[in-house]
Amino acid sequence: MNVVLLLISLMFLSHTAQAGEATKLSAVKFALNWKAEPEFGGFYAAKLAGSFEKRGLNVEIVEGGAGTPVVQMVANSKVPFGIAAADEVVLSQVRGTDVVALFAVYQTNPQGIMVHPERGFKSIGDVFAAPGTLAIQSGAPYTLFLQAKFANAKVKLVPYAGGIAQFLTDANYSQQCFVTAEPLLAKKKNKPAASFLIADAGFNPYGTVVVARRQYIDKNPKQVRDLIEAIHNGWSDYLRAPESANAWMVKLNPAMDSETVKESAEVQKPFIRPANLTDKELGKMSKERWATLVDQLFALKLIKKKPAVDKLYENF
Amino acid sequence: MTLKTRLASWLPPLLPLILSLGAAEFAVRMAWVPSYLIPAPSEVLQSLLDDRSELTMAAWATLSSALAGLLLSFVTGTFFAITLSSSDLARRAFYPYAVFFQTVPIISIAPLLVIWFGFGQPTVIASAAIVSVFPIIASTLLGLKSTEPSLLDLFTLYTASRRQTLWMLKIPFALPQIFSGLRIASGLAVVGAIVGEFIGGGGLGSVVDAARTQQRIDRVFAAVLISSLLGVVLVGAVNFISALSLGSWHSSERKS
Repeated sequence: MNVVLLLISLMFLSHTAQAGEATKLSAVKFALNWKAEPEFGGFYAAKLAGSFEKRGLNVEIVEGGAGTPVVQMVANSKVPFGIAAADEVVLSQVRGTDVVALFAVYQTNPQGIMVHPERGFKSIGDVFAAPGTLAIQSGAPYTLFLQAKFANAKVKLVPYAGGIAQFLTDANYSQQCFVTAEPLLAKKKNKPAASFLIADAGFNPYGTVVVARRQYIDKNPKQVRDLIEAIHNGWSDYLRAPESANAWMVKLNPAMDSETVKESAEVQKPFIRPANLTDKELGKMSKERWATLVDQLFALKLIKKKPAVDKLYENF
Repeated sequence: MTLKTRLASWLPPLLPLILSLGAAEFAVRMAWVPSYLIPAPSEVLQSLLDDRSELTMAAWATLSSALAGLLLSFVTGTFFAITLSSSDLARRAFYPYAVFFQTVPIISIAPLLVIWFGFGQPTVIASAAIVSVFPIIASTLLGLKSTEPSLLDLFTLYTASRRQTLWMLKIPFALPQIFSGLRIASGLAVVGAIVGEFIGGGGLGSVVDAARTQQRIDRVFAAVLISSLLGVVLVGAVNFISALSLGSWHSSERKS
């Protein structure tokens, strides 16, 4: 009799232990390459709406800084999920990693060149053909693309150290930017800027891409699927109603004022969801776009061999 | 020197190098360490060969900026040290500010240097000078303050002027310290130049910046290797001058 009781209580114990296990959220880190801002709005919206927790995930969004090597951190399993640009994924795989793109926030890459409107430029070609200074990340794929396309440039290329301080003080200074961010900051400082998309010049890799290791995805398929679903819903919400996520991000990153955040969230909408894209297709990537990117990087001699396009990304 | 003694002098520094490079190569070849974390020495060598013209030009640019910065910090640092050594009041008033140069986090003020001096070499030279000036001030000051008292008494006895005492006694006696300050400063000048180039553009700093962007860690290592070679060259040059000027009389340079 006692033995039966003991067995029953043991079963009960093990049962409750299992239940406890199931409700415990699995903690995952998600590394950004910059501070909280509308570029990451959908991720914060997902967190705010409890979308991750609903799927049993406790996602910690880790802010980054200038030069945080997120792709390398993911490749080295320091964090399971992170943010990268599509071209970084290709370079990383060619260097021997198994980092894969899972969700692309920007269908049109918002990377651009911002200039003083008084100089009367009509395109990036004009910027390169005129004297003056252009601050741009040296060695970056988009830089090499522009240098190759606009050879015999008169403009002097200088390193880009971030921010817009130099732009505000120098009338002959142009710089790289996210057209959804820095031009708005400049306007706020009473220096309206004109900007041109590098995508319009012909180089348009997916921007702000969620990445993880192939090894990790294969080991945790459900977790990855859940995370991407939550992110998708987060962005869908954020495009519809960004207010609460914006308010939270201003608190996290006081360098941004709420007015600029609001404006930026509005300006970036067509980059995330172009007119022809349905809500369901948010974040999805196409084989043609990845193949084009690989061809361009190869032509720029940034990669010596072409990786298999199918292995670069996966749509969930 | 016979072959044997030559070997005996080269082998001790070469052996650790060969062993560590061999170990690194082996670890990468065996896939114990992925090559995107630490490149195999053979990859670095390949990168050195592939990009030799670009790296050579970059190395020249960095070397000339580092030299200019070192010269600037030598002139200003020595002048500053002589001024400070001449009066206790001056030393108490200004020495604490010299320490500022020792502690300044160059990477955080480099963006300001660009705003002050513009893009290009002036910024790079300023950066090299700022990080290399303190060891020159500190060592020169120490040297000027540690003249043998009996010799000072002798100069006083012969009613030598302050200038004579400075040039004929204090400075010659401070030379070993001045050179040891220069040795430290010359390595720092290369570091300062490369940090300046991150922001100001040009040289090995630019190469490192671009290679990092492209996840070309082999090129990063190749550029770092060359920059440390530049440091070795500069320190070697200082050693050479030091041996020339001290060899005939000072115990620190006399052959034992």
